[in-house]
Amino acid sequence: MRSLRQALFVAGKDLAIEWRTKESLNAAAAFAVAILLLFSFAFDPFAESTRETAGGLLWLVFAFAGALVFNRGFARELPNECLDALLSSPLSAASLLLGKALGNFVLLLVLELISLFVFGIFYDVRWWLHPLNLAVVCALATWGISIVGAVFGALTVNLRLRELMLPVIIYPLLIPLLIAAIEITGTLLANRPITAYELLWGRVLVVFDVIFTALAMALAETILVN
Amino acid sequence: MDTRNFTFMFYGFAAAWLIVLLYVISLARRGARLKKELEDVKQLIGSDQAVQPPRLEDRVR
Amino acid sequence: MREKIVIGLVVAAALLLAYNLYQIFLVLPDEALQGAIYRIIFFHVPAAITGMIGYFVALALSVLYLSSGNFRYDSLAASVVEVSLVFSVVNIVTGSIWARIIWGIWWTWDYRLTSALVCVLIFSGYLMLRRGIDEPTQRARLSSALCIFGCIDVVIVWKSIEWFRTQHPGPVLSIRTGGGNIDPAMEHMLYMNFYAILMIAVALVLIRTRQEATSREIDSLRRLANAA
Repeated sequence: MRSLRQALFVAGKDLAIEWRTKESLNAAAAFAVAILLLFSFAFDPFAESTRETAGGLLWLVFAFAGALVFNRGFARELPNECLDALLSSPLSAASLLLGKALGNFVLLLVLELISLFVFGIFYDVRWWLHPLNLAVVCALATWGISIVGAVFGALTVNLRLRELMLPVIIYPLLIPLLIAAIEITGTLLANRPITAYELLWGRVLVVFDVIFTALAMALAETILVN
Repeated sequence: MDTRNFTFMFYGFAAAWLIVLLYVISLARRGARLKKELEDVKQLIGSDQAVQPPRLEDRVR
Repeated sequence: MREKIVIGLVVAAALLLAYNLYQIFLVLPDEALQGAIYRIIFFHVPAAITGMIGYFVALALSVLYLSSGNFRYDSLAASVVEVSLVFSVVNIVTGSIWARIIWGIWWTWDYRLTSALVCVLIFSGYLMLRRGIDEPTQRARLSSALCIFGCIDVVIVWKSIEWFRTQHPGPVLSIRTGGGNIDPAMEHMLYMNFYAILMIAVALVLIRTRQEATSREIDSLRRLANAA
C-alpha cells in the first residue's frame, strides 16, 4: 500500500499547511455562511416547502464553497515551482492525485460540518437526527466532489482562466452526484424513512465514486504530466 | 395532411434548419478568417523561402 | 480529394433530404392524436442519435489521442464534439417545441431531456476550455480528459435518472421494441432522415477538421516567424 501511504503523506502536508494558514477554509466557510444567509432571504426558512428543498440548498452551498477549496488545491503548489518538484519526486502521479483528493475531502467535510451548524440555526432543521446516514451520504458525495475537483484542479492549474474554467467544467460533471445527494439528504432532513428509492440513489453515489476514482487513477499520469 | 398544430410544426422545422444554418455560416466565416490569417503569416515569413516551413509535428512522442 | 468527398456528401444529403421532405409532408400518413406536429420527430430523433454517436466517437478519439499523441485525433475529436453539440441543440429545441404542444410545457426533468441537457453543458464546457488554452499539447490533453470524463458522466446521468423519471415517449424503433409501436413507413423515414443528417454531420466534421489543420499550420508558421 505504498501509494496509499504516499497519498496520505501528500494529504497530510496539505492539511498541515491549511491548518497553519486556514486560507481556503476561512474563505470557503465565509462564502458558505453568506450563501446560507442569502438563501434564507430567498426562501422562507420556516415554510414547509423550504424544508422539502433543504437538501438541495445544502448541497448547492457545499458545491459552490467546494470550488473555492479545489481552486487552491493545486494552485497552492504554483509559487516557487513546488508543483514541478512534486511531479519530479518519486511520488507516483496516482498517489499525488489521490492525496490532493483526500486533502480536499477532509477540508470539504469540515466545511460541511460548519455549514450544517449554521444551517440548523438559520433554518431550524434538526440535522442530527440521523447522524450515521447523513455521515455516510456526506462522505460518499463529498468524495465524488473531491476526486473530480482534484482531477480538474490539476488539469486547469496552469490556465490563466483557472478560476473561471474550473466551475464551468466540474458542475455539469457533478450533476448526477449532486442529484443523488440532494434526494437522500432531503429525505434525511425531513425525517422521513429511507426507502428503496433512496437506496437506489445511494447506489448512484457509490457507482459515481467508484467509476470516477478508477478513471482518475488510470489517467493520473496523463493529467499530471508537466 | 392533418393540419392540427401546423404552426408549431413549422416553428420546429424552422428552428432545426436555422440552428444548422447558423452553424454553417459560422463555419464559413471561420474558414475565411483562417485562410486570410494563413496568407498573412505566409507573407510575413516571406514567399521566397526555398525550404518548406516545418509543420507542427503531428506526433509529439 | 477531401473537397470532393465533402461536396459529394453534401449533394447526396441534399438529394436525400429533398426526397425525405417530400415523403414527410405529402406521402406519410397522419398520426392519430398529434396532428401535424408529429412530423418533427423525423428531425428530432435523428439529430439526437447523431449527437450521441458523435460524443462516443469523440470519446474513442480522445482515448486514441492520449495513447498515441497524434494531434490529428485531437482535431477530429474537437470537430466531432462541435458538430454533435449543434445537433444536440437541434434535438433539445425541436423537442421543446413539440413538448409545448403535446405536454403543454416547454421542459420536464425526464431522464432523456436531463441527459441531453447535461451533454450540452459538459461539451460546451469542452469547447470553452479549448478556446481558453493556447498551447496545443496542453489543450489536447485537457480536452481529451474532459471528453472521457464527460461521456462516462452522461452514461451515469442517463442510467440513474432512467430509474426514476420517465415522461418522454418510450422507445419506438423496432430494434428496441421488436416492432408494433410505430408505423413501418414512419420508422423507415426515421432511418432515411438519420442517414441524411449523418451525411451532413460527417461533411461538417470534415470541413471543421480541415480548419483545425489550417489552424495548426498557422501556429507552426507563427513559431517559425517568431524564431527567425
